[in-house]
Amino acid sequence: MTLNSTRYIVRETVHSMRRNPWLSIASVLTVTVSLVILGFSVFFLANASNMAKSFESQLEIAAFVQNGTTQSDIEGLQTQIKGMPGVASVTVVTKDQALLDFGKTMGGSQSNILADLGGTNPFPDKLTVKATDPQNVVALADAMKGLPGVDKVRYGQGFVDKLLKFTQWLRWIGLGVVVAFGIAAIVLISINVKMNVFSRRREIQIMKLVGASNSFIRWPFLIEGMALGLVGGALAAGIVGMGYNWITMYVQSTLTFLPVVQNAILFQQVSVGILFAGMAMGALGSGFSLQKFLKS
Amino acid sequence: MSNALRVMEKNGETCEIKEDNMIQLTNVSKIYQNGARALVDVTLKIGKGEFVFLVGPSGAGKSTLIKLFYRDESPTRGQVTINSKNLVRMKEREVPYLRRNIGVIFQDFKLMTNKTVQENVAFALEVIGVSSKEVRNRTSKALELVGLTNKENAYPHELSGGEQQRVCVARAIINNPALLIADEPTGNLDPETAWGIMELLYDINKRGTTIVMATHAKAIVNKMQKRVIAIEDGRIARDDEKGGYGYDT
Repeated sequence: MTLNSTRYIVRETVHSMRRNPWLSIASVLTVTVSLVILGFSVFFLANASNMAKSFESQLEIAAFVQNGTTQSDIEGLQTQIKGMPGVASVTVVTKDQALLDFGKTMGGSQSNILADLGGTNPFPDKLTVKATDPQNVVALADAMKGLPGVDKVRYGQGFVDKLLKFTQWLRWIGLGVVVAFGIAAIVLISINVKMNVFSRRREIQIMKLVGASNSFIRWPFLIEGMALGLVGGALAAGIVGMGYNWITMYVQSTLTFLPVVQNAILFQQVSVGILFAGMAMGALGSGFSLQKFLKS
Repeated sequence: MSNALRVMEKNGETCEIKEDNMIQLTNVSKIYQNGARALVDVTLKIGKGEFVFLVGPSGAGKSTLIKLFYRDESPTRGQVTINSKNLVRMKEREVPYLRRNIGVIFQDFKLMTNKTVQENVAFALEVIGVSSKEVRNRTSKALELVGLTNKENAYPHELSGGEQQRVCVARAIINNPALLIADEPTGNLDPETAWGIMELLYDINKRGTTIVMATHAKAIVNKMQKRVIAIEDGRIARDDEKGGYGYDT
């Protein structure tokens, strides 16, 4: 590629955008709209996944220890459970600790609590177990039921099943939205580029007859596609960034219980991703659409 | 060197290619996909520096024959050799380089509608990567030659048919091609402009460019006294060294 050709390509790109301003604007807007939707669906996926995770991380199994079990037996139980496959952590909550926690939630001092309860501590010793995968909770609870010294096992039977189903759905929907709009974006852009190339097929044919090589014809189209894609991507990144910021603030002030992802790195990655996606869509779109016309 | 003979082995048979031939067709047939037989077993030699008229009724195969020369069409059978290059065996990526050495004046002009006169003519140079200064110089010289200096910045749709024809001529000759192919270059011109174009072609031919011109212009063919090849029903019906048009119009 000589310097003279480069000059021609740059000039030709600018000319072409000036001559078809409406087609250029349409291409930019197509890229923008598709990438805005794509960007928001990425954030939707991130939030759905985050919400599912935060619900699931709250899942734990409580194994209550039979009354009269010695301290060393409790520690034995702890190591035994820790050794079971799929267990993330086991913490011992002694009856004294349980009483203390209970007192805190009641807002009084623990000495009064003990007296109010008639001088005896009604809480049993408890082992709190977390599973590496929330899917294992039910199986783990069943296994723990059979251990000697374990009185009762509680893990929110029934609720867990429903929650797990719900979070799974949330993830699938999030992924589905991203995939669907990704495909829609590519289809929209390729239609747009095809129209652009189709409107110039006569020009392309003439260029070939005058002795232009395929790459000479292709470059201005590729660069134009990339430039338009980049502009569309930049607009989309701005809209998604500001839009998500606004939604986050709104949700946090009104629906405080909802966990919202606010991750500067994710933010950056999505913005840069949108820019590159726009450029790649533009370049690939024109490249593929041109290929058909260049073959004779 | 110009009379040196090159012997080529091809499909078991031997054929000679004279290096002073610009165009050589050997047993060329062209049958289109719809079954139309455009050319039937045509064998033809046109030497370097010749001026040849192609005449014959419409639909006889003149345009198909011409399209073989710059590989817009490929023959169904037979060999086409242009300037010692075999076009049948030529790879797709070599085609642009062939076309840069051939100027074509198209019957339908083939001008790019969204480029100005100047840009249309300059394009043939930009394709080769000529410097922008040289592009400007040579373009304005070519436009001067065809008398369109004052229409530089006009778009094709703002020109008359004759003017568009002349833009096409300027683009075809700007590269100083070894071979100039003209498909009805005077078809849309008034007699005076037509003779202007013919004088231009005559001069270009004098400087060594081979010219093949398909035409229906009886007066021009009769006056020029050049080689005339008549095509009828896809076959060569007549090939006269210094011939006339030979048809009644």
